[in-house]
Amino acid sequence: MTETTIRTRGLKKTFRVGFWMRPVEAVREVDLDVRAGEIFGFIGPNGAGKTTTIKVLTGLILPTAGEAWLREVPVSDPNSRAKLGFLPEGTFFHDYLTGREFLDFHGALLGVPKEVRRERIPKLLERVGIAGAADRQIRRYSKGMRQRAGLAQALIGDPDIVILDEPMSGLDPLGRKDVRDVILSLRDEGKTVFFSSHILEDAEVICDQVAIILSGKVVKQGYLDELLGQELLGSELVVEAIPESLFAELRTTAVRAVVQGSRFLFEFAGESDGEKALDRVRSQGGRIRSFVPKRKSLEDLLLEGLAQEKTR
Amino acid sequence: MMTSLHRIHVLAMNTYREAVRDKLLYNLLLFAALMIASSILLAQIQIGKDERIYRDVGLSSIAFFGVLIAIFVGINLVYREIAAKTVYTMLSKPVRRWEFIVGKYFGLLSLLAVEVAIMSACFLGVLVWKGSEFSMGLVWAIGLIYLELALVTAIAMFFSSFTTPYLASMFTVALWIIGHLLTDLRSFGKNSDIAGLKELLEALYWTLPNLDRLDFKADASAGKPIDFARAAMAACYAVLYSFGLMAAAVLLFQRRDFR
Repeated sequence: MTETTIRTRGLKKTFRVGFWMRPVEAVREVDLDVRAGEIFGFIGPNGAGKTTTIKVLTGLILPTAGEAWLREVPVSDPNSRAKLGFLPEGTFFHDYLTGREFLDFHGALLGVPKEVRRERIPKLLERVGIAGAADRQIRRYSKGMRQRAGLAQALIGDPDIVILDEPMSGLDPLGRKDVRDVILSLRDEGKTVFFSSHILEDAEVICDQVAIILSGKVVKQGYLDELLGQELLGSELVVEAIPESLFAELRTTAVRAVVQGSRFLFEFAGESDGEKALDRVRSQGGRIRSFVPKRKSLEDLLLEGLAQEKTR
Repeated sequence: MMTSLHRIHVLAMNTYREAVRDKLLYNLLLFAALMIASSILLAQIQIGKDERIYRDVGLSSIAFFGVLIAIFVGINLVYREIAAKTVYTMLSKPVRRWEFIVGKYFGLLSLLAVEVAIMSACFLGVLVWKGSEFSMGLVWAIGLIYLELALVTAIAMFFSSFTTPYLASMFTVALWIIGHLLTDLRSFGKNSDIAGLKELLEALYWTLPNLDRLDFKADASAGKPIDFARAAMAACYAVLYSFGLMAAAVLLFQRRDFR
């Protein structure tokens, strides 16, 4: 059985806000089990409690109740963070340092020997794609470059666990792809990656397991294929050169039918309607441009959770 | 313990590096150097008291600009780590919170040592140029100015560990002023008829940092011999008081949430 590297039980955090110290429950009930060597997505809308949970795991916030462990060491013990790499949300770094100095400082803080740092820093800068800006002050970096520098900082100690808080936020598509590639390569190296995101497509592409947090509570947790299942929810068909009579016929079974210039787009619910429509188009000599079966997505799962929350 | 010392050293060096890349520091140092050099002009106004003026202006400039640097550079350095959230990447490593506070403090002390050394070199330059004597009394006075700066820095760190830079600056400046007036306030209380005032001022005299104890500028400037026992006691007082304030800062910082 795979070892659990991040574990929380009954985690709660209540903040006191405003002049009257009104209690606000940021995290109400979080039980997490993250296994070694997996990519774990911590999904939820803004303000759901993702960052608060991560700050408890990284020792920046003390929990009001409950417990958390990194590699079976309680997070209240700073030694739990000995093999942890962390990228906080936003790019808040010592911007008077150059990229190289920044990594050297964080490496030194982790006790990485000087000669190892000297060897590792250029490789890391290369890996995150900012080797050309190694000797430029971070204050002169673009947002994407700062995010990449932050990612390199999280990896300078060759960690076993990497926690990334919204690592894709603010990045362009190329930057997002690069970060995804780094996360996947970390898993290949046997590291555990725990990342939070509200960008569901990214999580769906790379995660092994996910947990969905809503209003401070984990409402769903498990392997993606178990949570999403294999059930076909519907399909999307795009065709050309079909007679008007066929368009009218298919329209009656489709949940949505749209004319886009010379193309016709149909959306079908369930498993069979789409297949039947496909056969009819073929038999009438129409051209099929695309046929996409639709399965349950993380977005559907999140929306389900939100609907359940509302009915409570 | 060895790893704690290593981390404190790394944090202190980074604090020092941050401070020396701050333009405010150079502006203050430039003003200090100009002020010390201005003693040559001031001496021409007061005929016959040249040496006294060089020493008065030199020592006062070192103390005054040192305090400005200790308060404004010092408070910013701690608060900026929290406000700019740079503390996140440091405290998410196996860094103890007390190591962070102590590392910052030693970084600032290193900065103040360099800054006092530069201002003292300017002061020495004026004395050498004007053929004035540089006595041991001046060395003691400068040493105790440094310890006063260390104490003021500890006050600044104490306040900045739980409040905003604006309030921390206000409180630190207020304590610095009161700290130099405690002996006078105590005398005032002794001669006062207002009920409870004597006791209150007596309590303040014994609890607040008494910076007058560290002030040997007047004696050194007048060329009077320094009472070494009193100076050594004053040094111990500054070290112990700073230690107490740092311990309190650590206690406050220990329970702080970084939201």
